[in-house]
Amino acid sequence: MLDRVSQQLEKYMDLVTTRQKLVTANIANIDTPGYRTKDIQFQQEFQSLVDGEEPRVIDVPNLKVKNDGNDVSLDREARMLSENDLRFTLAENILHDRIKEIRSAIQEGGQ
Amino acid sequence: MSLFSALSVSASGMSAQRSRAELLVENLANAETTHTPDGGPYRRKDAVFQSTDVSSSFADMFQVEMNPQSAGVEVSKIVVDQRDPEKRYMPGHPDADKDGYVSFPRINPSEDMVDLISSTRNYEGNIAAMSAVKDMIQRSIDLLR
Repeated sequence: MLDRVSQQLEKYMDLVTTRQKLVTANIANIDTPGYRTKDIQFQQEFQSLVDGEEPRVIDVPNLKVKNDGNDVSLDREARMLSENDLRFTLAENILHDRIKEIRSAIQEGGQ
Repeated sequence: MSLFSALSVSASGMSAQRSRAELLVENLANAETTHTPDGGPYRRKDAVFQSTDVSSSFADMFQVEMNPQSAGVEVSKIVVDQRDPEKRYMPGHPDADKDGYVSFPRINPSEDMVDLISSTRNYEGNIAAMSAVKDMIQRSIDLLR
């Protein structure tokens, strides 16, 4: 029922969700010795998700490693947290409008 | 793909930081304890974390089995400080040895206070992550309105 753009929006939101999960895991593991910051390559993975592949998780390179072998930066994770939130809100708003259009077509068509 | 397992990840982080804060507070409270049930002075304790898969329900467990990327955290062990106790010359003290020295725990309150601040901040970080995820879930639900 929904068009192609809406289906891609859904995939986009899925990908933002995956990324947000990695951010929460990074924040939870901020004091875990040897833990490396995990992320996905967003643009690249979006393309492959549209092609029907699962996102690949990578260790983020070039972060400052602390004495305990952990390289989680709270500043980076805070940025990612709000970035993902904004991306999700944007996609959600567009998708919501599209669903509203369809609903109004259903409701107004019957009258 | 469920956002609910992200909530479990943040919850595991909060619980781990809370355990650590409990140990740090215990250290501060026992900074002058010269007598313990095991004998000898109190010894400083600290928590070591390790990442772990979170499992809150069957669906999440299944998710974790399918793609092991959502790593929570848990306290893997509690390390007890094995350094020699600090000797202070207090001949009148009931725990004094034959030379008049009392063994005190080797605890540096500043060290524990700094760790406590870090623990509190990281706990807040987990709360921020949790509320961001909660908002995302709420907005997904609002799509149906």
